Amino acid sequence: MTRTAHVFFLISAAAAFAGISAHGSMTKEELASVEKLDAVTIPMPGEFFTAMGKVGQPAWGQHLRSGSPGLTDSRSMIALGLGTLVADGYVAVEAQDGQAIKNIGKEILALAKKLNVSQSVLGRSNSIADFADNNDWNALREELEATQNEVKLDMVDQKDDRLVTLVSLGAWIRGVDLVSGMVSAEYSPEGAKLLRQPAIIEYLLSQIDGLPEAARNQVPLLEIRTALAASLPLVEPEVPSAEQVAQLHTSMKGLFDLINGSAPTP
Amino acid sequence: MKAFFLILLLPLCAAMAQDAPVAEEVPSDISARSLALELAGAFTNDGYRLRDGFWPGEIESGRPRYLEVNLFAGNEYWFCAAATPPARKLSVSVFDAAGKPVEFQSYGDGGSAAAGFEPEFSGKYFLKLDLLEGEKSPFCLIYAYK
Repeated sequence: MTRTAHVFFLISAAAAFAGISAHGSMTKEELASVEKLDAVTIPMPGEFFTAMGKVGQPAWGQHLRSGSPGLTDSRSMIALGLGTLVADGYVAVEAQDGQAIKNIGKEILALAKKLNVSQSVLGRSNSIADFADNNDWNALREELEATQNEVKLDMVDQKDDRLVTLVSLGAWIRGVDLVSGMVSAEYSPEGAKLLRQPAIIEYLLSQIDGLPEAARNQVPLLEIRTALAASLPLVEPEVPSAEQVAQLHTSMKGLFDLINGSAPTP
Repeated sequence: MKAFFLILLLPLCAAMAQDAPVAEEVPSDISARSLALELAGAFTNDGYRLRDGFWPGEIESGRPRYLEVNLFAGNEYWFCAAATPPARKLSVSVFDAAGKPVEFQSYGDGGSAAAGFEPEFSGKYFLKLDLLEGEKSPFCLIYAYK
């Protein structure tokens, strides 16, 4: 920073306005005009895990993914599986396991190739490996989200918008599966509070309902929709109970296994 | 205290970004994103992590825009927005799921503004982006958390 910049900084700092603010309530019309945007409205698993890391000291290394998503030709299942992999990438970052995250980067690339959206992911995959070699965990968090966003952009470009929803869905299911599992194993109100996210489930349900009829009536999505709708009351209380957290975990674990081919498709 | 220090740093970051020659050579929506990134970048030195996702659009005086976000109790958030000229004064504010105002830290410097918020409960919140002075302009909002 130059001396001029330093001086300007001091002047600017003195002129800066900062304080605690509050405004009047929103009107009905304003509430009705609220926008939702997948890339900002839906939090990434990394945010979830950051909050979980403050509640306790999760042994992230014990939650590293074992095994790849099951082999399938279904584009829907591949997109869902890709979302779960992104969530697992954040687990590897929290565990600070460079090799695990490189492996996940390769698996994301493999699934992206199956969906014909690998071109943009290729560069990201190399960056993930570089950042992992340098133990740059913060850069890895950003790179994982950037990878997911580029995959989604490519899907939109290819007029495969429905897959965008499924990637977000897969990531959310895996995130809730992991956090609800941790909270269920050692219940605390602080941990349970993190799971109170009914608006995200409502958003995902609305996205599923917006899919073409043929897509939303496919067996995996039908089951996922039913399980999500049944989970909604479990995450509505400000502090879900131990029983509600356990039920939520059972449900999300079942969906994760279904997506990854560990559970029989009904 | 750290947050206050960061607030002091913000005008410099914004000013440096506004001085950048690239601002006149790229579409203004991209400039707005650059400005928002510069603003949010000040927080990364204090351990905040930037989201890659962003909210782009146009804002005009008297027609505020609202966005739903879903936050986690215990995390600290800074929502950073910027609009390019002819926008002159922007503000960001935070409301709970019922549309009631919540307490948040506020920063504003011309076309750049930010709101710092630490939710007590996880769940849905609303951001309000308001152009207080100036004409219809492209804007971009991003956020950082820790």
